[in-house]
Amino acid sequence: MEHRDPNFNILLATDSYKVTHYKQYPPNTSKVYSYFECREKRPDPTKNRKVKYETTVFYGLQYITNKYLKGKVVTPEKIQEAKEVYREHFQDDVFNEKGWNYILEKYDGHLPIEIKAVPEGSVIPRGNVLFTVESTDPECYWLTNWVETILVQVWYPVTVATNSREQKKILAKYLLETSGNLDKLEYKLHDFGYRGVSSQETAGIGASAHLVNFKGTDTVAGIGVIKKYYGTKDPVPGFSVPAAEHSTITAWGKDHERDAFEHIVRQFPNVPVSIVSDSYDIYNACEKIWGEDLRSLIESRSADAPLVVRPDSGNPLDTVLKVLEILGKKFIPTENSKGYKVLPPYIRVIQGDGVDINTLQEIVEGMKQHRWSIENIAFGSGGALLQKLTRDLLNCSFKCSYVVTNGLGVNVFKDPVADPNKRSKKGRLSLHRTASGDFVTLEEGKGDLEEYGDLLHTVFQNGKIVQTYTFDDVRDNAKITDSGILPMTPSLNLHPPSQKHCPPLERRVDPLPTHTRKHVQTHT
Amino acid sequence: MAAQDFNILLATDSYKITHYKQYPPNVSKVYSYFECRRKRGGTQFSEIVFFGLQYLLKKYLSGRVITEEKIQEAKVFYQMHFRQTVFDEEGWRKVLEKYDGRLPIRIKAVPEGKIIPRGNVLFTVENTDPDFFWLTNYIETMLVQMWYPISVATISREFKKILAKHLKATSGSLEGLDFKLHDFGYRGVSSQESAALGGAAHLVNFCSTDTVAGLLMAQRYYGCPMAGFSMPAAEHSTIISWGRSREKEAFESMLDQFPTGPVSVVSDSYDIFKACRHIWGDKLKERVIERSEDSCLIIRPDSGDPAETLIEVIKILEECFGCSLNSQGFKVLPSYLRIIQGDGIDLNSVDEILEKLSDEGWSAENVFFGCGSALLQKLNRDTLNCAFKCSYVEINGKGMDVYKQPVTDPSKGSKRGLLSLRRNSDDFIETVERGVGKPEEDMLVIVFENGSIVQEYTLEEIRKNARLLEDYMAPSQHNQDEPKSLEPHQKHIMNGVH
Repeated sequence: MEHRDPNFNILLATDSYKVTHYKQYPPNTSKVYSYFECREKRPDPTKNRKVKYETTVFYGLQYITNKYLKGKVVTPEKIQEAKEVYREHFQDDVFNEKGWNYILEKYDGHLPIEIKAVPEGSVIPRGNVLFTVESTDPECYWLTNWVETILVQVWYPVTVATNSREQKKILAKYLLETSGNLDKLEYKLHDFGYRGVSSQETAGIGASAHLVNFKGTDTVAGIGVIKKYYGTKDPVPGFSVPAAEHSTITAWGKDHERDAFEHIVRQFPNVPVSIVSDSYDIYNACEKIWGEDLRSLIESRSADAPLVVRPDSGNPLDTVLKVLEILGKKFIPTENSKGYKVLPPYIRVIQGDGVDINTLQEIVEGMKQHRWSIENIAFGSGGALLQKLTRDLLNCSFKCSYVVTNGLGVNVFKDPVADPNKRSKKGRLSLHRTASGDFVTLEEGKGDLEEYGDLLHTVFQNGKIVQTYTFDDVRDNAKITDSGILPMTPSLNLHPPSQKHCPPLERRVDPLPTHTRKHVQTHT
Repeated sequence: MAAQDFNILLATDSYKITHYKQYPPNVSKVYSYFECRRKRGGTQFSEIVFFGLQYLLKKYLSGRVITEEKIQEAKVFYQMHFRQTVFDEEGWRKVLEKYDGRLPIRIKAVPEGKIIPRGNVLFTVENTDPDFFWLTNYIETMLVQMWYPISVATISREFKKILAKHLKATSGSLEGLDFKLHDFGYRGVSSQESAALGGAAHLVNFCSTDTVAGLLMAQRYYGCPMAGFSMPAAEHSTIISWGRSREKEAFESMLDQFPTGPVSVVSDSYDIFKACRHIWGDKLKERVIERSEDSCLIIRPDSGDPAETLIEVIKILEECFGCSLNSQGFKVLPSYLRIIQGDGIDLNSVDEILEKLSDEGWSAENVFFGCGSALLQKLNRDTLNCAFKCSYVEINGKGMDVYKQPVTDPSKGSKRGLLSLRRNSDDFIETVERGVGKPEEDMLVIVFENGSIVQEYTLEEIRKNARLLEDYMAPSQHNQDEPKSLEPHQKHIMNGVH
């Protein structure tokens, strides 16, 4: 898992103000312990949030630890570079050169921190600890929150994977209802987002997060990320099909749309081929060109190699329904076992414009009401899948919960009077499953009293990766089960006990005695 | 020089692999362009800042970007990804053989930093060799990511307009404007690379940032040794680690550790109002008062309704520390005391907050702003309707203007033919279509040709192009091209020279 950027300097990959924090902790602080969660938010009665996001998919930490944190990340050159940058940036010498030299000398430039995390792919309810970070050397107490900035960026793969999975639930529900099975579910939401993300790196991370739940993608970068940082037993985790874009249609000229269609269809006889059909008039294209001029060409295609008609403008639901109606008049649908209409197998539709989780729900509901099976359609999503997301969607947050000062452990927290949602957890944390299968975060070190059952495992220790997950593990952990198609219930995936998955229900967490360990104080 | 590890053959939408088979026979040129389309119903953002192309050219497109290894890697990959052979191995090998792996492409673009109204061509792309007609749109995916630095630079500048308006109205000057909006967005973007690009885009308009990656980007790709500045500041962990009963000690330690220079202290860990009144305003009042104007304390609320919290905080501080009136008759806190609001800030809330402050008689001088996701993440390609479309092809030696015009959405119609950008006789910038533009009037400049970057811009020039003009409230800002010079000290600060 190499491929590291020699230009990257962890000393320069933090918020500026953190450069000054080593001077701000209480004197004689020897440990800072922090954690990451997707905070719960009390529902705002003024906002009608249609999608609740009650659980989140934990994914993407392994990319960050491998790419940016492991191995020898501190060198004399990097210390010098940082020193010079910060001198100018702060117009002052505030950089902790001594602290970083200590790491260079004592640890050969490896980071003395420990990260414990829930297995990647785990689906965990909001408000639970997902990973913890602590310094392992008393001199390096300041290091824990130095890496907050880079670690908090895990909000992105977590959020993409979570939002993608919620869409999978919607598709699964409607596919099951309107067809009786889940065939090709994993190809029903195709990643169109490469051009609409903010950078190449984001494309790779986001696309890989979508592939946790699906297998169709045009964002090639995601596959490279999976290969380098996770690995799959199959040669590739994502697939695509030949498809037209507007330029390959309009380049033929307005009067030659039919020639363009015919040419492209003939180029790809044996695989599905998607043809964008709205360059001038989608309805005319469906009715006259596909439905009449080229009808026999289409009818001769096999079920494995359908023509996929792609509208790309107009109101998504209205356009989809109208396109289905027009195609349905020319290519007579049959009724499936559930009583819904299915176009002949050689023709399908893909809606790849304006698709987000809300419009997706509207479209599949609208199709159902008009008695169209979801077998007829696939979706493409770009901006909404990979870009139209922020850290606030799942309230991803990193907070210090425990410090050791003058040898004494102290549970710390914030609790702003004007926002109870922003209150943070106290003390050392662990994650457990109760007898009924619910997840619970134990605070203030109470998890120590449990014999077993902390779902947080050490993944990174003093510069080394000590636990990795393959992408197959991730996909496995994030599977939706039949129960997952209904309103959220805890995942009942039962796996042989192993570190790679959340332990099964037999691991009980009994109610705890009320005493706390003597030397731990909670400041209230 | 383009990154070693990066393979441009794998940096496109999958379907584009199949496009070389889809163009009409005997096509010898594909010419495409990029714009921030105008949207019906009046646009919120009527003009954009063009920024970021130089980064893409330097990092990904210039020099020798094709090698035999990369061709092989792509071939093997696409075979599995499409479950069939469709990759144009021969086409790419020709690029390798004929041009030593350099891209036979020409890109013409508006100079970086220029302010251009929506709906105009910003750059054009065409193949320079008939064999490589398919290359123009192969690189669309990468080039369309220009939406991001353009959008960040544009939104950041919109913030600047709002801040300038209020600052001017309540203080009579624009002093310190470049430091009024601090980039807090590093942790809230989607990747390190986006942080660098977005962070640099913000620095086109301001010099206040905590997103260190942006500084490095500006240095490496835009020739600016130090594009932004910051100050010592607390975070919650450095306050709460003292324990709830020792918030005062935590605050005091900040004043001790950073005796000179401005220092920002987040004060809402438990109760922002009590902290202001009882700790800053009472227990530590003497310590605060003794700080000089250059070493002011900047109190940071971080929760609750931004405007309400700010008003209440400033009222408490007025009670404890007093205030004075500036030349415009607005109240200003003593020079050793300021506030920074870094939570819940976006274009709307900034305007609202400053409006409310002004209504209560307070100058905009009192407040700084920090902005995270609204600056660097809460944007997408639809924010400015960024699109890349083919407008002209040559087939059998004959040119043809091409376009899309979907009946289902007229706003998605694209421009036709060869394009140029000019200032018309009314001094408005406009796009000339169908190849009738006069070359001598064309504002588009060749920046990239056959693998080489032929025109570069420094951040200094970009900042100059993107500056706010004095009469920002006039309807068409792009009218005036006369340079309004910065104050000397502003100029120095802006370009990292002290």
